[in-house]
Amino acid sequence: MSARLVLEDLEVRRKDDDGGPGGKPLLAGVSLAVDPGEFVALVGSSGSGKTLTSRSCLRLLPPQLQITGGSIRLGDLDLTRAAEPELNTVRGGRLAMLFQQPKRMFNPNRTIGSHLKEPLRLHAGLRGRKARDKAVELLAEVGFADPAKGIRAYPHQLSGGMAQRAMTALALAGQPEMLLADEPTSALDKVLERQVLQLLDRERRQRGLGILYITHNLASVAAYADRVLVMNAGRIVEEGPAGELLTRPKTGYARDLLAAAQLAPETRRRPSPAEREVLVLDRVGKRFGRKRTGTVLEDVSLSLRRGEILGVLGQSGSGKSTLAKAIVGLDAASSGTINRQFDGGTRQPTAVQLVFQEPHNAFDPRMTLRASLQAPLRPRRDLSPDQRDERIAAALQEVELDPLLLDKRPGQCSGGQLQRATIARALLLEPQVLICDEATSALDALTQRTILNLLLRLQREHNLSLIVISHDMDVVRYMCDRVAVLLHGKVVEVAETRDFFAAPQHPHSRALVDASIPCRADGLWTLLDARNPALRGN
Amino acid sequence: MLQFITKRTATLLAAVAVSSFAVFLIPYVTPGDPVRKIIRSRVAGDAIDESSVHAVAQSLGLDDPLAVQYFRWLGNFFTGDMGLSYSSRTPVAEQVLPALAVTLSLVAMSLGLAAAVALPLGIISGLRPGSLPDKAITAVTQAFIAMPEYWVAPVLVLVFALKLSVLPTAGWNDLSSAVLPALTLALRPISFFTSAVRAGIIDAAAAEHVPAARARGLSSAQSVLRHVIPNGLVPLSTLFAVWFAGLLGGSVIVEVIFAVPGMGRLLFDSLVNSDIPLAQGGVVLVVALAVGVTTLADFVHRFLSPTVGGSLA
Repeated sequence: MSARLVLEDLEVRRKDDDGGPGGKPLLAGVSLAVDPGEFVALVGSSGSGKTLTSRSCLRLLPPQLQITGGSIRLGDLDLTRAAEPELNTVRGGRLAMLFQQPKRMFNPNRTIGSHLKEPLRLHAGLRGRKARDKAVELLAEVGFADPAKGIRAYPHQLSGGMAQRAMTALALAGQPEMLLADEPTSALDKVLERQVLQLLDRERRQRGLGILYITHNLASVAAYADRVLVMNAGRIVEEGPAGELLTRPKTGYARDLLAAAQLAPETRRRPSPAEREVLVLDRVGKRFGRKRTGTVLEDVSLSLRRGEILGVLGQSGSGKSTLAKAIVGLDAASSGTINRQFDGGTRQPTAVQLVFQEPHNAFDPRMTLRASLQAPLRPRRDLSPDQRDERIAAALQEVELDPLLLDKRPGQCSGGQLQRATIARALLLEPQVLICDEATSALDALTQRTILNLLLRLQREHNLSLIVISHDMDVVRYMCDRVAVLLHGKVVEVAETRDFFAAPQHPHSRALVDASIPCRADGLWTLLDARNPALRGN
Repeated sequence: MLQFITKRTATLLAAVAVSSFAVFLIPYVTPGDPVRKIIRSRVAGDAIDESSVHAVAQSLGLDDPLAVQYFRWLGNFFTGDMGLSYSSRTPVAEQVLPALAVTLSLVAMSLGLAAAVALPLGIISGLRPGSLPDKAITAVTQAFIAMPEYWVAPVLVLVFALKLSVLPTAGWNDLSSAVLPALTLALRPISFFTSAVRAGIIDAAAAEHVPAARARGLSSAQSVLRHVIPNGLVPLSTLFAVWFAGLLGGSVIVEVIFAVPGMGRLLFDSLVNSDIPLAQGGVVLVVALAVGVTTLADFVHRFLSPTVGGSLA
């Protein structure tokens, strides 16, 4: 009954003004096949055409793009030639899709149950009471503790992990033969990522579900995928069994991807214990509203030395970003004290700067980068216009950004370029502490690597203190001298990075360390150590 | 949710209290002594006997402290005793309530008409922004904004009543006499509603959950009906209430031109005649109703859009 998904020589181009195919192909000669029950990974940096490939399979490309060549077949059915009504029976039926950013993929005004009823009615013919019962059953299957309550929940009431489970239930509702999973876990932390991937793995084992798993997270590929396809600039540049490709990549591009994915801890000059503390948090708390449930931070005591890199680990919702805002002063703490000891006195509002998670959201879309970078210098009356321009030019040089980009708007820049600009903007005010709030988690592995190295270099050259907030264990291990673990707004463990990863003390820390798929400097084989049943949870 | 309801109801009561107090103060801040005004309104002749001033003040309780007077006035007001009109010497309630009924039906008709026209136009525009139908709809409805009622009303009178002789131009007798005033009053809401619906639909159609719904097998039409149109119309509930509240007191021009015996006209007349009790009664009633309608719209909006408030249930 189950069918293969076969793409042959797929080509996608942008339509030109008169509706004909124009310009360079965005996808060229893409051929791939996924067998029933097979877990195939499609990897590549952002913009390589991975998402375009999956959208093509469902024939749901943006209106300005069109398939200009090749074929997509599911079993005997040629999806490139199928008419809309037929495609509607395939979409969500035989061929389902999981999306990145699950929360945005739900209609905020409808309950989870209302969403689930759609595929149940369209593909299983279930209505009313029967559809409701089946929806409850599906939510129970994906791990909802109280599925009857789950179907009445609105999307915003679910955590990121629960939303991705609900999205998975939604994709499985039509009993698909083939699943296109487009970065289903990149918005989730490692613990949740593992749960979702285990769920998919179980489905393919139990029902022979074929999975095309799109990702830039190579560690998860090593743990779950049978075969790997590497995509670059709209082409498949390399493919092979996961074990072989991840250990002996043939192309330079695949080697770069792998190297970037493996954030080996580098030997770094560590700050001497004699360095003074620039930031001391004493029992900092933050509450919203009056109830006990509104407590986001509770008695957080931390210190940061000059030149030190402190990692703050925690799952989504543990209070990491609230902590960052309290330190910068964007949002005052409700209790406790934050003691700032900067060069040139304590009263330096700009001595702590923040680097945001989503670079595209950190800029005004209507302003050029030049205008955005000039804004923080505007209150500095002591600087002449020329001096301001010099500062901006110097900051750009620091972050290795082309000055020509200054006249572009955020929409015209890549995520990596914008993240460099965010860092440049933070540097303009000569900070002594830089807080990086998930600064690289929206970026692909290659870009993430270059940004992390940039931060390390800046830290070294300016003797900056960094607070690296992340849910990514590899990033924290790569960057940090010390690690603090946040759980439900409390610091449950603070330790030297090396000690922390060798022997995490708190149960939650152990769960975090265990969930991360180890990625060490001593060779690629460690990636494959991760392919053991214990880690997969089977 | 309970907290939300109590909060909003408290806000509502506070708004009514503040505005009613302001209205209550009108006779005290306008030039002249209120007692003398009352006597003058009831007794022919200019000469006022000083002893009768004192007697009237005492009998009406006008020498009590202001706060006492206010609460007595408010209590009377909400039990239906709004005082006597200066000009007609009949109870204010007998004039205000029928006028309010007329205005309510006029406003309801014009907003109903506006919604009936604006919904399809806004949806057509919003689903194909930049298309020829969109450009035509936007151009025409935006032109309505620039047409003031005191210009539209005479033009409609000229065309329908005088040239075509199909509709009455004045009075409030049957449905046909409501057509021209309702139409005049509907034009500007039509343009505002249309652009609001258009913007709402464009926003809703751009949401990422729409292609996600297509990926579940919903046809283009199904996804529009289930996920685009309902979401796009949510902002309209608030706008509708704001216009409803606004037109309750804002229908003056239309009521005066078409001789509709409604609230706007009554208030207009009461001010021209310095009939303070009538003005007070009318204004407080309109304010209470307006605040009530917007509060109701907040509840409806909250119900339609579960993310508002963002509380974790």
